[in-house]
Amino acid sequence: MSRFLRSRPYAFALVLFAVLLIANIAAQPSFASPSNWAETLAIFAPFAIAALASTPAIMSGGGGIDISIGPLMTVINMVIVANLLPHGLGSPWVVVPACLAIGAAVGAVNGTLVTVLRFQPVVATLCMNFILTGLATQLQGSTTPQGSTWWTNDLSSSFGHIPGGLISIAVVLAAWYALSRTAYTRNLYATGGDDATAFSAGVDVTRVRILAYTIGGLFAGVGGLALMAVLKEGEAGNATMYTLVALAAVALGGTTFTGKRGSLVGTLCGAACMYLITNLLGAANVPDTWTDAIYGCLLLGAVIISAGLASATAVRTS
Amino acid sequence: MTTIDAPARALPSRHHLADLQRRFPLLQVAALAVLYLAGAATVPGWTSRSTLSSMLVMASLLGLAGAGQTIVVLGGGIDFSVGAFITAGGVFITELPSVDGWTTWAAIALAVAVAIAGGALNGVVSYRFGVESLVVTLAVGSLLAGVLTGWTGGAVTGTPPAWTSTAVSVISDTFGLPVPPVVVIWLLFAVAAGIVLARTRSGRSVYLTGSNPVAARRALVRTGRTWTAGFVVSALMATLVGVLLAGNGGGNLTAGDPYLFQALTAVIVGGTMFGGRGDYWRTVLGALILTVVTYLLDAHNYSTGVQEMVYGLLIMIVVAAYGRERRVRDRV
Repeated sequence: MSRFLRSRPYAFALVLFAVLLIANIAAQPSFASPSNWAETLAIFAPFAIAALASTPAIMSGGGGIDISIGPLMTVINMVIVANLLPHGLGSPWVVVPACLAIGAAVGAVNGTLVTVLRFQPVVATLCMNFILTGLATQLQGSTTPQGSTWWTNDLSSSFGHIPGGLISIAVVLAAWYALSRTAYTRNLYATGGDDATAFSAGVDVTRVRILAYTIGGLFAGVGGLALMAVLKEGEAGNATMYTLVALAAVALGGTTFTGKRGSLVGTLCGAACMYLITNLLGAANVPDTWTDAIYGCLLLGAVIISAGLASATAVRTS
Repeated sequence: MTTIDAPARALPSRHHLADLQRRFPLLQVAALAVLYLAGAATVPGWTSRSTLSSMLVMASLLGLAGAGQTIVVLGGGIDFSVGAFITAGGVFITELPSVDGWTTWAAIALAVAVAIAGGALNGVVSYRFGVESLVVTLAVGSLLAGVLTGWTGGAVTGTPPAWTSTAVSVISDTFGLPVPPVVVIWLLFAVAAGIVLARTRSGRSVYLTGSNPVAARRALVRTGRTWTAGFVVSALMATLVGVLLAGNGGGNLTAGDPYLFQALTAVIVGGTMFGGRGDYWRTVLGALILTVVTYLLDAHNYSTGVQEMVYGLLIMIVVAAYGRERRVRDRV
């Protein structure tokens, strides 16, 4: 059993997900009814994508981490609500490319800071976190801008019979699947495992890492869109919450913060577990004021479990 | 920036200057002087006693909040739970004596116990399981902040003891000295921290652990204990700041939030870098720089959004100047 878990780091999250899903349905039979799926998935999408977007940077190793994903999604959300929609630029052909471009650009800057300028990843993305949080506050101004348009409304409910939240998550996973057909993902694992060895073997470590942050940023672009679709307003204050939830989901999904192991599927399972636990506690009438405490417990538990599973196979080098 | 860069270019040996900068924070001293003079030139009332005094109070709180962070960063970690411990200190001292009838000492004892337990949890979990301290401290911070929110039901109703406002009041003095008590506390602490870090065995253990944990272990440094002690000190200092801050309207559930990032910025802007480079005096300097920058931006009516962006850029400039990692090709 433990061998099975070790060879499939995401298996723990998958089992937990199944258990939690049953518990949720038992506690709230309406949870399973198809009429609620669209709404559930729409709320889940920004959480899940924030977690997915945080994963490539962590997988690139060398202490890689991106703590600017939450603020980046908030900035993108704010740009759509406060800048694009009021100026009549609500067409998906404008908004979607703009979101992706902002996300990828910020990710590329992070990656460049980490690799070319050789900043510690925590410091580089902390700077970016400051700058983006400041920017979001600046863009928001004194009011809370609001807005939505037909296709973002569909994104938060459903396009025909397909839930919008499912589409945004699927886009991210499809992009990652396409990448995994190329040499890039292998190079990413090699770099995350040991950058000096990967470098000696001819992997362009710098390019792999810049791309990892850029892909994270690109995913955050999709996440910002999903966030905007659900919120329909711009609120700079909730940027930091997503960082915590995303990191917890990553840890729960079996990705180690040292970069040696990880998968996006695991992260998705981890994010689903986080969402279901929160939902279950809501169903059990635990007041909202305890949310932070519960998230903290989950993150702490997740890193201990994740590290425990990893250390069973890891050779202790020091 | 041009004013700071100019002398470096004018003088013949840049390497000599770079070496000097490594040992003594020249750039930061120059920046502080320039920024202060810029304030004096453009802001009316900048050099008055009340402005100076309120700047020193802010710098003291920042500097004290960044004290533990300095030790943690020197040891190679990072502490994101500072904000939560500041909030905890403020909430305990505000809520327990006035609402629940505890004595002040009992409230302080509880705050200290929570700080020791929480700091130890940070240190032990991140060390034992080899997890990034950023992630563990984020979790512990959220847990603590959440417990405080849950316990108070989302609002703090008490009033803090009167002595806390005296400690941080801009117009108060300390035994006849014309500075608020918190400034004197900071000065005494800075001297003590400077000596401990530079001259004692514990201080050296911190540097050794930070620069190379494996080598430190081989040299019989108790790295686990040193690492954990750093987080405990960080939590304790944050709690102290929280208690003092309570007298300044700090007895609420978000009191610590701005201090986490400001104190971390002070540490990095001062020139302390991850893994054994820096000392507490640099953080003192960083806290002063950050205070002057904040006052300058405030006086010129820049919003908090702009302030945050400036903090980010400041860190970027300082780290780019001399806090960088080794190249991959040099590590093969």
